[in-house]
Amino acid sequence: MKFDLTYTLDALPRLLDGSLVTLKLALLGFTFSVVLATIVTVARTVSKSQIFGAIIAVYISFIRGTPILVQIFLVYYVLPIIGLNIGPITAGIVALTLNSAAFIIEILRGGLASVSKGQFEAARSLGLSGFALWVKVILPQTFMASIPPLVNEFTQLLKATALLSTITVVELMRVSQQIYSNNYHPIEVLTGAFVMYFLMCFAVSRSASWLEATFEVKRA
Amino acid sequence: MNIDLSIFTNYAPQLFLGFWMTIKIVVGAIILSLPFGLVLALGRRSRLKLVRVLTTSFIEIFRNTPFIIQVFMFFYVLPFYGLHLPAAYVGIVALAAFGSAYFAEVIRGGINAVAKGQLESARATGMSDWKAMRFVILPQTLPIILPAMTNQTLSLVKESAVLSTITVSELTMAAIKVQGETFRPFEAFIMIALMYWALNETIATIMRRLERKVSSRSNSGRASGIARADPAVKDD
Repeated sequence: MKFDLTYTLDALPRLLDGSLVTLKLALLGFTFSVVLATIVTVARTVSKSQIFGAIIAVYISFIRGTPILVQIFLVYYVLPIIGLNIGPITAGIVALTLNSAAFIIEILRGGLASVSKGQFEAARSLGLSGFALWVKVILPQTFMASIPPLVNEFTQLLKATALLSTITVVELMRVSQQIYSNNYHPIEVLTGAFVMYFLMCFAVSRSASWLEATFEVKRA
Repeated sequence: MNIDLSIFTNYAPQLFLGFWMTIKIVVGAIILSLPFGLVLALGRRSRLKLVRVLTTSFIEIFRNTPFIIQVFMFFYVLPFYGLHLPAAYVGIVALAAFGSAYFAEVIRGGINAVAKGQLESARATGMSDWKAMRFVILPQTLPIILPAMTNQTLSLVKESAVLSTITVSELTMAAIKVQGETFRPFEAFIMIALMYWALNETIATIMRRLERKVSSRSNSGRASGIARADPAVKDD
């Protein structure tokens, strides 16, 4: 038995489709988690409520202290029990969002700390308050400072989508499993998927400096 | 939704067996990946271009692909080359390969954070490259890299859950079995989530103590006024 590249090439079209699903899942999960994390960050800073802060701290500790695979199982198996009948794709996106949001809250906390207090004071003295203060002054600077860890978090999320194959979401990993359970050539097929994951993650992780440069220009 | 507490008591022995397996796997993977990670980190600084290219590719490949596909690759590739190992050993090898790529980056970050002048002055006193690394640079990196090492250890504990997909009977696999027998997924998974959480919090607490000890020791021997290297180790 030896490595037969034709099996990789035959699988390529379906693997590409799977990669698109993987990218979509990661983008959706990332968008939702950035929105959720931003809301939580602003709410936590504005309200200064200790109870809210404590709840968020426990949530972050739980997410960071438990495997994402277990979190995926919890969402997938537990939501139907409490009456929410959602499919594996929705459950998967919910799990990814809940996981990633915890990490992004931490990232944004770091980004927010790098925005100087004078920015709040200056914006307030210009008459900006509430919504405008955050959306026009504070958050853009927070996100600028957070680009490298956010890009890193996106690659983590991209890699985590592969775990959704365990709850029957048909993304790249699951597609390759389906293909090799038919043709019995796991190594050739998995190698194809492996290369695709690598290309996606590598491209994303190299984009941090490019993103920083792009947004720097827009600000000027 | 009502919670059936009897599952906690009835299936505790099974889950603790899985818990013990998880600990054994993670310890095994760490024992393998620390020296290999050090070799990779030093390899990236090698004068030979071939060594640099090989170690860098290894690190980038393992850092930029999902662990689950690495596990499946090992699971199918090792027998392909005639190496028939039980699933648990495949799991340890896969976890060690994954871990060593991350440990290598942490160690490399630590070496870079130790001032360049340290290496030059060690060389100037007549030490060989290896001696300078062993007696001057690496001891100084230890307090710098410990926090990042802790994070990597915690992430190995979490990633070990993925080994359930290749039938390694660790904690997550135990919960899947309990779930299959009882049809009570919430109880099974929340219990192991708490076990993982407790394990990680314990490791984190122990390591924080160790960090304080190591950094106070390395500070006491230091002349005052010398700036500490910035522990700017990338945490990912």
